[in-house]
Amino acid sequence: MSSRDPSDEKLERLVSQVLRDQPLRPAPASLEARVLGELAARARLPWWRRAIASWPAAVRIPVIAVCAVCVPLVWILSLWLAGRLVSLATHPSVAKPIATVWDTGRTIAALGTITAHIIQSIPREWLFGGFIATAALYGVLFALAAAGYSLLCPRPGYSKAHLT
Amino acid sequence: MRAYQDMVFSTAVRLTGNPAQAEDISQEVFLRAYESFDNLRASPKVGGWLKTVATNLTLNHLTRHRKRWRLFSEVFSDDSREEEIESAAGVFDNVLGELETDERRARVEQALERLPDHQRVPLVLYHYEEMPYQDIADRLGISLAKVKTDILRGRVAMAGLLAPSGLGAPNARRRSPSTPSGAQT
Repeated sequence: MSSRDPSDEKLERLVSQVLRDQPLRPAPASLEARVLGELAARARLPWWRRAIASWPAAVRIPVIAVCAVCVPLVWILSLWLAGRLVSLATHPSVAKPIATVWDTGRTIAALGTITAHIIQSIPREWLFGGFIATAALYGVLFALAAAGYSLLCPRPGYSKAHLT
Repeated sequence: MRAYQDMVFSTAVRLTGNPAQAEDISQEVFLRAYESFDNLRASPKVGGWLKTVATNLTLNHLTRHRKRWRLFSEVFSDDSREEEIESAAGVFDNVLGELETDERRARVEQALERLPDHQRVPLVLYHYEEMPYQDIADRLGISLAKVKTDILRGRVAMAGLLAPSGLGAPNARRRSPSTPSGAQT
């Protein structure tokens, strides 16, 4: 139906005519009251809970000025803090614990690599079998625990007599 | 507000097909207008501004259902046959002409409301808002071909609903997009 044929055009023209002859639908009577009610509710809000554009100029301008000052201030503070941290890191009292943390991290990474190699060297069937056996054992353990719990600790007050 | 509330509500209700949602959207439009009251008070384009905001808010509201709408639009192919289109034209040409003004108005409103979103929205944008096909495609994020198909199928489906056996017939509600013109044949 990609090409326009006379029947398409006729239908389009008729639909246009019918729809454009339609009058506007009257808005519900409640609309005006709803809008006015919402405006009144907003007007009752204290100024600091409204949009900043509607704040009093005596407040808005200082707030904007403070914000404008805050941005470069945060940058300067961040740079200063970064410099301080770098100089602190070179201090012997801090450098030693940091080196310890680094060494620990490297050891853990090396252990991870060794473990990965070991796992890769194990045949896949053994791994799957191990996973299935572990899951089965957990299942059995859970079933035994649930059965033991229901035998040893019966729930009070829920006998069949109560249910019926 | 009184001068424009019918226009704003009509814009929203024609697109949504749901008076309750249209009322919510209209409320939001007038609240935004109030926020821009200083600029709008003296503007001669206030009606156009309100209509644009109403259209945009309604389309944003409908965007939530966009995925489903696009899916339907893509799934159903355009299989409107020529005789269906001619039959639809006959409904608009003859059947509506026989009705009283008020009845015709009510039936057209009902038929429009009962169209599925993916047909009603492009149909309304094209016929009421006079948006070109390409603008509708861009605004709705669907292909130009699909816009044309959906509008054509919407017209045919609307004719099906407006036909004597359409509105009020038990199977007329939310007719499947694949069988839009079954009632008027």
